[in-house]
Amino acid sequence: MAVIRFIFDGVREMFRGSREYWMWLAALSVVIIYGAWRYSGQITEGLVVTGMSDQVSWGFYISNFAFLVGIAAAAVLLVIPAYIFDRKDIKDVVLVGEGMAVAAVTMAILFVIADLGRPDRLWHLMPVIGRFHWPVSLLAWDVLVLSVYLLLNLAIPFYVLFMHYRGREPNIRLYFPFVVVAMFWAISIHTVTAFLFSANPARPFWHTSLLGPRFIASAFASGPALIIITLQTVRNVTSYHVSQTVIDTLALIMTTALQISLFFVGAELFTDFYNEGSHAASIHYLFFGLSGFASLRMWIWVALVLNVIAVVILMIHPLRQKTLLLNIACVLAFVGIWIEKGMGLVIPGFIPTPLGEIFEYAPTGTELSVAAGIWAFGILVFTLLAKAVIAIKLGKISYTLKLSYSY
Amino acid sequence: MTSRILLSMVCTACLISVPAGAQETEAPDQQPTLRFEGYPGARDFEVVPRKDKLFFYPCTQCHRFLEPNPEVRELAAPHDIKLEHGRGRIWCLSCHSLENRDNLRTLLDEPVDFDDAYLVCGGCHANRQQDWYFGVHGKRLANWQGERKLYNCTECHDAHSPAIKPRNPKPPPPVRAGLERVPGAEYEQHPVWETLEEQEDQ
Amino acid sequence: MSRDNGRRDGHSKFDQARRNILRAIGLGAAAAVAQPAWGGQTLQDAFASFFQKDYRRMSAEEIEAALERIERNAAARYGVEIDCQNTPPQPGVVFGYAINISRCRGYRDCVYACVQENNLGRDSQVQYIRVLQLEQGDFNLEHSDHYYDPETVPVEGKHYLPVQCMQCDDPPCVKACPVEATWMEPDGIVVVDYDWCIGCRYCMAACPYWARHFNWTVPEIPAEEINTNTHYLGNRPRPRGVVEKCHFCVQRTRKGRQPACMEACPTGARIFGNLLDPNSEIRYVLENKQVFRLKEDLGTEPKFWYYSD
Repeated sequence: MAVIRFIFDGVREMFRGSREYWMWLAALSVVIIYGAWRYSGQITEGLVVTGMSDQVSWGFYISNFAFLVGIAAAAVLLVIPAYIFDRKDIKDVVLVGEGMAVAAVTMAILFVIADLGRPDRLWHLMPVIGRFHWPVSLLAWDVLVLSVYLLLNLAIPFYVLFMHYRGREPNIRLYFPFVVVAMFWAISIHTVTAFLFSANPARPFWHTSLLGPRFIASAFASGPALIIITLQTVRNVTSYHVSQTVIDTLALIMTTALQISLFFVGAELFTDFYNEGSHAASIHYLFFGLSGFASLRMWIWVALVLNVIAVVILMIHPLRQKTLLLNIACVLAFVGIWIEKGMGLVIPGFIPTPLGEIFEYAPTGTELSVAAGIWAFGILVFTLLAKAVIAIKLGKISYTLKLSYSY
Repeated sequence: MTSRILLSMVCTACLISVPAGAQETEAPDQQPTLRFEGYPGARDFEVVPRKDKLFFYPCTQCHRFLEPNPEVRELAAPHDIKLEHGRGRIWCLSCHSLENRDNLRTLLDEPVDFDDAYLVCGGCHANRQQDWYFGVHGKRLANWQGERKLYNCTECHDAHSPAIKPRNPKPPPPVRAGLERVPGAEYEQHPVWETLEEQEDQ
Repeated sequence: MSRDNGRRDGHSKFDQARRNILRAIGLGAAAAVAQPAWGGQTLQDAFASFFQKDYRRMSAEEIEAALERIERNAAARYGVEIDCQNTPPQPGVVFGYAINISRCRGYRDCVYACVQENNLGRDSQVQYIRVLQLEQGDFNLEHSDHYYDPETVPVEGKHYLPVQCMQCDDPPCVKACPVEATWMEPDGIVVVDYDWCIGCRYCMAACPYWARHFNWTVPEIPAEEINTNTHYLGNRPRPRGVVEKCHFCVQRTRKGRQPACMEACPTGARIFGNLLDPNSEIRYVLENKQVFRLKEDLGTEPKFWYYSD
């Protein structure tokens, strides 16, 4: 059957390539295996090997989770211009963006699983055989929307690529409704993740209606940053053509999003510090330290500075046009938002505790290793998917090709 | 007779009814002691006995040989207790019965058994006694449901020095295994008037 | 088994060998199932506990089996015979608690009585009750000292506030749980099914009173200090990787006994009882004293009051 051959050819393509390609896969595998080994240590000893405590009960894992859901949502920034505005240049790369979404959602789910105290009880989440506390629990919502988003971002490209592999035009009327669903769904995954945090009046740092908008804005700044770097890499290491207009459009979207994101940060700072009450204790800890504790202070100010430099570069048209400066801005924005939305969001929510205690958190070697392993796994997933996608789009593998292992 | 009417008038507010014959002077051993008749609303209860925990009880084993001496004075051993109760307004025989040392006495000189010591305390500390009857002061033994056994006042409060003394606390909470607590800056409370006084001085 | 040339009743040597091997495998399998090898459990127990349903959907027989598994696990882990029960809630009872903060002197007797009664891990260092030391006239929890350790208490110019699970009537933790491992029982106690919890710790983020605690490691309890009178939803030995919290000593209170913290408090500062009984001590407090609750503005409706007199 054609589908079987499609999958077979695709997978075979993933594991075929130059020496540099194999070295890249090997390097990623080393990190993944090391992370898996450290995770097995966590399974044996328990979460006591992490730096989390009753006081700060979520740490590095959930920080990365929140950030990665944003990256996954940002794939929609390619989907909308490609299918709604009929941008042909963006349509050519939209599958790469969806591949990135798959990798990001996979990483997000892995981070949640790594954070669980009893991953062996994952089946308890399933409806009917377990107890799925939907629609009341925001975490249940998150599981639902992320799973469906993963399916959508696997199914739609699967169909489109399969059609391409068969040498046929994909039936727009068949997959367009799913594309529309996926667009709204992308916004929803990140809004649900924001609501996961903002639904808790117990944590005044998160309990703000601005958290949802902040998440979307920072996602739409950090996601395109990653996509811009990735597309340039694709352009350099493969023979796939990525039009410069794609990069320009993404850079423009990123500029606006980053400006809005920084505006939101400013709004938070004003609201909390103008008349400072106990509601502002967490943000005071984050930016200025509290009672002698200030382990996140340097990080957040660095993040702020990186974001400001990035937005200045992006806002100035001639600077944004220069590839090197654009790439610098992308890296700065990506790192800055990773800090601000990762540790800079999750940890201060727990400091001070609802009983006023200040107990700090620092990730341990296990957490850093497992996180690195998961990131490497996500990059591996993306690499493999992109390899197959590009090969199919370039026609290197197709159903009609008699010699499937040419070149 | 008049004393009974007086007693009834005084006690209407507390609704303690006076058992018949409480004022007759009889031989010390046979005189019935005051019993609690109950507040409306306060449930039946029992009091955890005290007599078995009193070192010198029964007091009459010595005092039946001694002349009762009502003069206010400092007592010698074995009763050379420093009374830290009432700040000089009361002394031993304010609570202990002169005629029968096996009993205590109320303000109206009614005999009270040592196991019902709360009736004596309630003579002055009426509000606290009401709280105790209804279970919001003091301790109840073992159960929240069913049999209601309360501890006497003197179970916790030494009647001669009732203020609870400071004692050492149990250890502070630990932190999670593998982590260490870094003590932060201690919060120093400055009352508002201190800041204002400082500003005044400047 | 006769050994005449390895033949018996016309069967070949090969058949005999095969039969021996199968017998050995059978015995070995039976041994593997029966021997405690799977994390201290028998294979049968390990399978059964993996597939165990959540508390509210188990039948009476399944709960009985679960209780027995818990008792066997405790015997394997601590070498102690415990009694794990499933006392149901009493009808017409909803528990309420009040603390007289003018009586609390910060002794922490309640904290350690709870640790002993509820088999809290000495190594995982969970304590359900935390006593805060506050400055006179100051009720700001951010100014509190959790780790006070003076020579004597009460310290001059300080007052004390014990905090534990408030057993809210509108609990944010119950809403948060993605697998419904925590819920409010009919007698008002918010309980956790330790065999259903997946350890995501979202409930800990949702609780405004810092009342929920996590077993970061396996709770270690010295065998001689184990309280053998346990309840499935209460103080039975818990596994690693699950959340737990104060449950108003469900193993005691459903049988009419006071919770351990109340029994331990020497000053009688703690009042506990049935909110639905108009003659109870807790009702008298609520109707006659100036009571308040912590973080009332969050709308969680705690069933834990404070008052002073």
